[in-house]
Amino acid sequence: MIFIFVRHQLSYDQYYANKDRIYRVTTEFTYAEGKEYQNGVPRPLGPAMRNDFGMIEELAMLQGSAGIIKVMDDAGKLRLKTSEPTFYVEPQYFKIFDIKWLEGNAQQALSAPNTVALSKEMALKFFGDWHQALGKTINYQNKTDLIVTGVFADLPENTSNPIKIAIAYAGYANRNMKQWGAVSSSSECYILLKEGADIADLNGPRDAFVKKYYKEDKSEKTNHLFQLLTDIHTNETYGNFARKTTGKASLAGLIVIGLFLLVTACINFVNLATAQAVSRSKEVGVRKVMGSMRRQLVVQFLTETVTLTCIALAIACALTEAALPGMESLFKENISFSLLEHPVIFVFMLAMVVVVGFLAGFYPAMVMSGFSPALAIKNKISIGNSGGGYLRKVLVVVQFAITIILITGTLVVLKQMKFLREKPLGFNSTAVAMVRVPVDSLSVLKYETLKTRISKIPGVLSATLCSAAPSSEDNNTNNFSFGGTEDAPFNANTKSGDEDYFKTFGLQLLAGRSLLKSDTIKEYVVNETLLKKLNVRNPQDAIGKIVALGGGNKGPVVGVVKDFNNMSLKEAISPILIVSQKTRYENIAVKMDSKQIAETSRQVEAAWNAIYVDYVYSSSFVDDDINAYYESERVMGVLFKVFASVIIFISFVGLFGLISFVAAQRTKEMAIRKVLGATTIELVGMLNSSFLLMVFLANIVAWPIAYILISKWLAGYTYRISLSVWPFVIAMVLSMLITIVTVTLRSYKAARTNPIDALKYE
Amino acid sequence: MSNTHQLTNNNMIKLENIEKYYANKGLKNYILRHVTTTINQGEFVSIMGPSGAGKSTLLNIIGMLEAPTYGLYEFMGENITSLNERKRIELYRNHIGFVFQAYHLIDEMTVAENIEAPLLYKKVGSAERKSRVADMLDRFNIVGKKDLFPNQLSGGQQQLVGIARAVVAQPALILADEPTGNLQSVQALQIMELFQNLNKTDNITIIQVTHSEANAAYGTRILNLQDGLII
Repeated sequence: MIFIFVRHQLSYDQYYANKDRIYRVTTEFTYAEGKEYQNGVPRPLGPAMRNDFGMIEELAMLQGSAGIIKVMDDAGKLRLKTSEPTFYVEPQYFKIFDIKWLEGNAQQALSAPNTVALSKEMALKFFGDWHQALGKTINYQNKTDLIVTGVFADLPENTSNPIKIAIAYAGYANRNMKQWGAVSSSSECYILLKEGADIADLNGPRDAFVKKYYKEDKSEKTNHLFQLLTDIHTNETYGNFARKTTGKASLAGLIVIGLFLLVTACINFVNLATAQAVSRSKEVGVRKVMGSMRRQLVVQFLTETVTLTCIALAIACALTEAALPGMESLFKENISFSLLEHPVIFVFMLAMVVVVGFLAGFYPAMVMSGFSPALAIKNKISIGNSGGGYLRKVLVVVQFAITIILITGTLVVLKQMKFLREKPLGFNSTAVAMVRVPVDSLSVLKYETLKTRISKIPGVLSATLCSAAPSSEDNNTNNFSFGGTEDAPFNANTKSGDEDYFKTFGLQLLAGRSLLKSDTIKEYVVNETLLKKLNVRNPQDAIGKIVALGGGNKGPVVGVVKDFNNMSLKEAISPILIVSQKTRYENIAVKMDSKQIAETSRQVEAAWNAIYVDYVYSSSFVDDDINAYYESERVMGVLFKVFASVIIFISFVGLFGLISFVAAQRTKEMAIRKVLGATTIELVGMLNSSFLLMVFLANIVAWPIAYILISKWLAGYTYRISLSVWPFVIAMVLSMLITIVTVTLRSYKAARTNPIDALKYE
Repeated sequence: MSNTHQLTNNNMIKLENIEKYYANKGLKNYILRHVTTTINQGEFVSIMGPSGAGKSTLLNIIGMLEAPTYGLYEFMGENITSLNERKRIELYRNHIGFVFQAYHLIDEMTVAENIEAPLLYKKVGSAERKSRVADMLDRFNIVGKKDLFPNQLSGGQQQLVGIARAVVAQPALILADEPTGNLQSVQALQIMELFQNLNKTDNITIIQVTHSEANAAYGTRILNLQDGLII
């Protein structure tokens, strides 16, 4: 199962014929205090690069966007109104990526402005039949009519650029923008390297290129890097259009857990098989006497193990099939488990059977086939001389160590999750809905009406027009100057909000006041971190200082806001400027009475729809958005819980089996001890103590490993729990407790048997 | 337990009408029938009889390893049939030592540790344990073997350890089930002399099950069993 998931993650963007030659151009900013990475590029980069680089075969700009699509039927009546993610695509894109076109020709279809190509799925949605889509028009953003000039095959789920609506880049309004300083994460650039060229060869021209287009600046340096297409999904430094990355670290973590599982299971098998070897010793003896060679015996036992593994595999396949829906909902992705589609799964399973079969079967086979026939026939083989007593103990310790590492890991992951959920962010996010507002100039005029209407709804406590919530994945950074003309050595995260922004989100001011009503940037509120970075100690000193944003928009600082977390808690707080800027608003944040959210939401939607008839309503709650940051942690948490329980289960089933054999082997000893005056409790205690010692040893082994792993994981968070001794203690107590229960259950029975049965002479 | 009673008639074991049978498909398969006898403190009793006569079962009943189906059994004036497990373990610890035909030493422990084991259960202090074990090793002439494991010893030596283990707890009664059954005659002789010695000098009551007339001759009394009956 883990393999399927990992394969799925690694399969991202793997299916393009040119995948080894496709690179994404990314941007690297170097500031005095560190580097920042962006998956976008400045818009003029595309044309410029196309000019300056000889080694690039093709280059294509890809601009992500989203908008309202209206489809009319033949009679001119509205057939469908929907909000969809769209892409402005250069025709070259389809040269780089071999996407199959069902209708039309990519190079011609998207060369003229106001043309659009649809994926099969979209064409089906808009027109009912994709064969008839060609030549039809769709209305985009209530403004432009786009002619459908092509239909292409649906892209698989595992793509980083899920293009469904490809609008000709020639029609993109900002395509000729000249600012090299503005980098948006939705402007991506892909290049196809000439065959035989090495990406390292691009470094020279690249440096010259950067020198040519960017002005020298001590405080800020921009550079461009080339990222291999297949790296996009697993590299967490950059975002992508699919908004899905699964870091290599998480994948590695999963693989490790999978290996752990496998190792534990193998250890169990080895242990039980060797223990069981005793009961089969007679068979071995007889076979040997009959003239069987050792090799034949080894082969026989190995075949048995491999057969067993095959049966287990069949059961595992059935279970996987059953568990797949659960997994899909956990990962929110479509994962296919089909042998025909992915023969690699089959190969993997085959390899598994062989490896597991041999791993688990080899040692017991060697032990069993090594029995001396004379002793074996006389039933004189006991667990003591069936060999590998120490090896078995070591295996048990290893197995328990793994279990303990996982228990500890699970506890810490869960605790960190809880910490993230409950840590105060510095602002109030409860019951705040972010309602998108359209951004075209006509809609902007209606903002005030909307706000007034929404504010009047009973149950709405406050409302503010803003670019984004205080904590958001939507971040905008700009250069700025503070109290002078020279730019500060770092960029500031800019948030736009109106006069009610502070009230709605419950932001606290340390000095000065909040923003006054204004449609353009007239004054600034800064946060503590920004002042700290500028070495301004007293917030009061900042008031009145003149700030210029992006070289213009001069205005005084009127307030200092207490620090709040503006991104996920993995990141530190950025320096922030808050301004009023009507043209930047994208949302209206509505703070509601938490007791009547459902009713209020309904009314907000009604009010919104009444004003923006032509648009599609969409909203989300800030709390949900924030929780979405920790989606991968949630998934990790669930995985840890599931796999930890499975491993714990396996370990203790194994332990139970082992103790059964030990108890059987020591029946005689226990009987003797009983006759010597030992009570049942003393006997149970005796068996327990030997196992507890092993579990304790396992704890000792597991602690440092768990500590290292967990510290590493936690280091990824700027805000994290301090690693206390408790998870370790709990893991130890838990493991010991389970051991005691298991051992006692089994050994009590053994200790209660009448000694006479065991002591009777043969 | 009344000490006066015990002292006056010196009865250690009193068996009355002991019966033992296994019910098999409604048929009663008798092993012991109407066994009635008393054994006094300081006796050395040999139970004799052909195979299947019920010798071992009788010994097991006396050793409280098996319960009689019917009958009265008093050990030192106490009714055993109504005894709970804790009390019975008390008796094992303080009054009864077992010697087996197959020695039944604990393979994983050295000679010294084997001898020490019953003292551990008797909760004897560490210093005294050491001295008593040393005493035993000395007395049975196995000091040199104290750090060996049972499988490094000959049968006779193992049985010596077995007896030492039974004696170390200073029991009033030793129950021996064919103690020499696995031994060669010279070693068997040694063991029997040892028993006689223990019986005479330490006044330990000994009950042994044996096939051999010669061994039985070491005892003070012979109980002949045939088909579950004393004859």
